[in-house]
Amino acid sequence: MFTEELKAFRRLGFRHVLLQVLNFASVIASGLMIWKGLGIVTNSESPIVVVLSGSMEPAFYRGDLLFLTNPSSEQYKTGDITVYKIPGAEIPIVHRVMETHDVPKSIDIRKYTKSKSKSKPQPGEDSKQDNQLLLTKGDNNYVDDIELYQGLEWLEKKHIVGKVRGFLPYVGYVTIAMNDCPQLKYALLGGLGLLALIQRE
Amino acid sequence: MHSIFARINNTSALLSSCMMALLAAIALSTLVFTARPEGNVSVASVQVYSGNTRRYATKRQDLAFVDFNITADFAPLFNWNTKQIFLYLQAEYNTTTGIKNEAVIWDRIIRRKEEANVNVIGKNKYNLRDLSTNFKNAPPASYSLKYNIMPYVGALTYGEAARTSEPVAFPPRKTRV
Repeated sequence: MFTEELKAFRRLGFRHVLLQVLNFASVIASGLMIWKGLGIVTNSESPIVVVLSGSMEPAFYRGDLLFLTNPSSEQYKTGDITVYKIPGAEIPIVHRVMETHDVPKSIDIRKYTKSKSKSKPQPGEDSKQDNQLLLTKGDNNYVDDIELYQGLEWLEKKHIVGKVRGFLPYVGYVTIAMNDCPQLKYALLGGLGLLALIQRE
Repeated sequence: MHSIFARINNTSALLSSCMMALLAAIALSTLVFTARPEGNVSVASVQVYSGNTRRYATKRQDLAFVDFNITADFAPLFNWNTKQIFLYLQAEYNTTTGIKNEAVIWDRIIRRKEEANVNVIGKNKYNLRDLSTNFKNAPPASYSLKYNIMPYVGALTYGEAARTSEPVAFPPRKTRV
């Protein structure tokens, strides 16, 4: 099937193959640069996420794409839709903020979070804003998220990946399909790789 | 230019560019609308009782129960790009210890223009409690009705529709219902 392609390769020489590989690598590298650059601009570790659960219906369905920002100079307000990650759980959760409590720096926030750690907060970690304690709830759930917090009483700013600013429906379904059915992922990646290598223009 | 592969390539490239342009146009077109809905919020009564919250069934803390009236019309906010409007009534107060609190006590989702006229006499859906487990340090609170417009495509917008004209105080705790 590929004998013609292989013959053409041998004719063009080893350099040509190297050039193709370089093209491939530069495409991947520029994709990565754009992703990381977006992460820096929005100050969020993952500025584009796919909705995984149905707990925010009818606003967001599984497979919708969300654009996040994480302004360090702004406080979160009630009504903001935030994506957060509980340490110990790998899945980011998209829910709405129901309560905010802004605790000024003069009060030790550990009194309210019942945190057992004795360490003081790192100097570079915080901005000029007060600490915040947040409680969230999904629109489609009857009760708030306390059970999801894995022992925490309140969420803090450090748990939050970002706040939802914009929204694109259905586009993310490809990622969910690829996660549910890994053969699809390998088939797609394999097909793309093969196509990139045998293309000659 | 005449192989099937090239044809599919060109068609799909054109399709995706047109689709992106259309979505961007829809998202930007909603910037034209600057309607601001008006409404009215008034609090009929606030009562404070001692109760339990779900998580720790034996820990008592003060919970505030609020009865309120809301009237508002959100019909001017509905256009071709509005998927739903999320309304929420929140209590805002700053305690004497310096902590600023905002807590949502009631919310509603409006999906169609016909439901956009809101006239509610109700009580809080969610527990209103303070970090210090009592309301002794809590000054009178303002209650505000805010909304969040969720579009089919584009950016989410927020706004405030109404606010109580003067702050409402938390009464001392009642021991008997």
